[in-house]
Amino acid sequence: MNFSGLHGSLRIRLLAGTLFWIAMSILVAGWGLGSLFRQHVATQFHTELTSHLDQLTAQFTLDEQGRPQLALPLSDPRLSRPYSGCYWQIDLVSDIGGSDSVIAGQLRSRSLWDHVLVAPSGMLADGEIHQHRILGPEGKMLGMVERSVRIDDTPDGKPRTFRLIAAADENFMLEPIARFSGNLWLALGLLATGLILAALVQVFVGLAPLRTLRTALGKVRSGETQRLEGVFPGEVTPLIDEFNTVLAQNAEVVERARTHAGNLAHALKTPLSVLANAATSGKDADHSELARLVVDQVAIAQRQVDYHLARAQVAATSRVPGVKTPLQPVVEGLARVMRRIHAERQLELIVHPFPESLSFRGEAQDLQEMLGNLLDNACKWAKRNIELNACSNGTTLTVTIDDDGSGLAVEKRDAVILRGIRADEQVAGSGLGLAIVDDLARLYGGQLELVDSPLGGLRVVLTLPASQ
Amino acid sequence: MRILIVEDEPTLRAQLAEGIGAAGYAVDVAENGTDAHYMGDTEPYDAVILDLGLPQMDGITVLRKWRTAGRSMPVLILTARDGWHEKVAGIDAGADDYLTKPFHMEELLARLRALIRRAGGHASSEIVCGPLTLDTRNSRATVAGQALTLTSHEYRVLAYLMHHRDEVVSRSDLVEHIYAQDFDRDSNTVEVFIARLRKKLPPGLIETVRGLGYRLTAQQ
Repeated sequence: MNFSGLHGSLRIRLLAGTLFWIAMSILVAGWGLGSLFRQHVATQFHTELTSHLDQLTAQFTLDEQGRPQLALPLSDPRLSRPYSGCYWQIDLVSDIGGSDSVIAGQLRSRSLWDHVLVAPSGMLADGEIHQHRILGPEGKMLGMVERSVRIDDTPDGKPRTFRLIAAADENFMLEPIARFSGNLWLALGLLATGLILAALVQVFVGLAPLRTLRTALGKVRSGETQRLEGVFPGEVTPLIDEFNTVLAQNAEVVERARTHAGNLAHALKTPLSVLANAATSGKDADHSELARLVVDQVAIAQRQVDYHLARAQVAATSRVPGVKTPLQPVVEGLARVMRRIHAERQLELIVHPFPESLSFRGEAQDLQEMLGNLLDNACKWAKRNIELNACSNGTTLTVTIDDDGSGLAVEKRDAVILRGIRADEQVAGSGLGLAIVDDLARLYGGQLELVDSPLGGLRVVLTLPASQ
Repeated sequence: MRILIVEDEPTLRAQLAEGIGAAGYAVDVAENGTDAHYMGDTEPYDAVILDLGLPQMDGITVLRKWRTAGRSMPVLILTARDGWHEKVAGIDAGADDYLTKPFHMEELLARLRALIRRAGGHASSEIVCGPLTLDTRNSRATVAGQALTLTSHEYRVLAYLMHHRDEVVSRSDLVEHIYAQDFDRDSNTVEVFIARLRKKLPPGLIETVRGLGYRLTAQQ
């Protein structure tokens, strides 16, 4: 038997348990009530038969010829109506040669008409009442009680034994039972339906906080909120608190990793600066083999540090859920920086207006790193104009940066995205910018694309997950 | 032209002081944030080179305090932290340019010259006053194409006057901008430098404004 569904769903677990108990209760109640009623009706049926038998016994006399007769007719009118279902009969039991022979139907109720009841043979002790089931008129099963009456005071002086029989159609008992059972099961069916509905509602209402939790988690994932928010029942609250603590710790770990990376950069680059300056500013600068070696190795070390720090930064971005970064402040901040650090070249950096609501589903520092590198790259290559456009289709944020520089040959475009390959050594920079942007974008499930710009230079298209 | 260098690493600080001093600037150095803030707040620097990771008070705080107090000298941030996050924070705190370590001394000097020039409202790297031309890129002064031979102090006086041409510059202003802080200053030496410059320059370029100071002007 497969229990995976049972393990997989709280709803199915709760419902299976409840439904089982509802079914059991209904069955037990139906069976119990049914038997009680059957017992009651059967008792009543036999009480009535016994009452007929008692009446019959009371009214039973013998006439002058010694034949049985009734002093008064029995009161139940059904005993007079042919085949009404209620019958009585008096048999004569004669003792011939030690064995009983029965002369059935000495006297019968009118309702028996021409039918004679055949009771099972066997002599009864005086006064004892026996119950039997016998075949009656029209093939119907009858419930029957019988009693032996011995009369010593007969006209001819010979004591005689009579068997008095009262019988009734079993349908008198079975019909009400059937009717009751029908009604009983209908009522129990309605009760079961009601209980099942109530159980469904209970499970639905009881599990509602889990749906709220799922919605809250969805918001954290989409970056709308940074922690699980909402009112939850006491049973769920510890879970929520624990989860929020984990989220906060996660963010803290990333922040710490970044700080360490920054500290490492600081610790390594300052001595590198000292070395490089010492090699180039000495009296024999550019002449000494050692000075050249130092300058070359410092440049290599710097590239290695830049590359691995960038990778560390990318690795630290473990996609902390619940982070949302509005695009506008980042772009504005970077535009201020670009205008300042490229002030000499009097570039025209145009940020085309875009909706304030545009947001990136990720860390602000990563967005800054990506856009900063792309804008800086565009500023380095542009003759005069750089344009930035941004739009979103709800799930994807697209940032396009155009420059009017000399562009980049199609065959070189893939290469510059690869690690540290530079298209031109003339412009300052480590050549890692585009590779880092590509790494970061991929990590977030986005991508970086290089195409021709309508301004004449290069267009970079950065697609990233958007946050609502 | 007087520059403040704020850097906590002693060797790099010495290299910067040497390189920038050799380019014709008067140089003061500070090794922590508190000293740097005090010096920048009280002395009239023409530019500041500011490291961000400093003991006692970090560079961004120092810069922010200067700007809040209305100190507007150009500031070049020099740091090992090259994330755009830090660059935005630096520029927003009031920095004018940003250079990451390791750097080439030539690039640092080029940016420094550009900052000082822009602060004086000069778009080009060459400042012209009549027949006199000052090329800030190579610290050379020429008169009608003929290079002038100047001592470092003469150059500083001339450069300061050129950056503030047509303005009256007081003697004390000149003293403040041509000497480093720990230099034994004597305002009389300014007169000596002015007299030497007058001999090397066409007559009438440097005017004496009585009681106020000097003015470099081509308008006669």
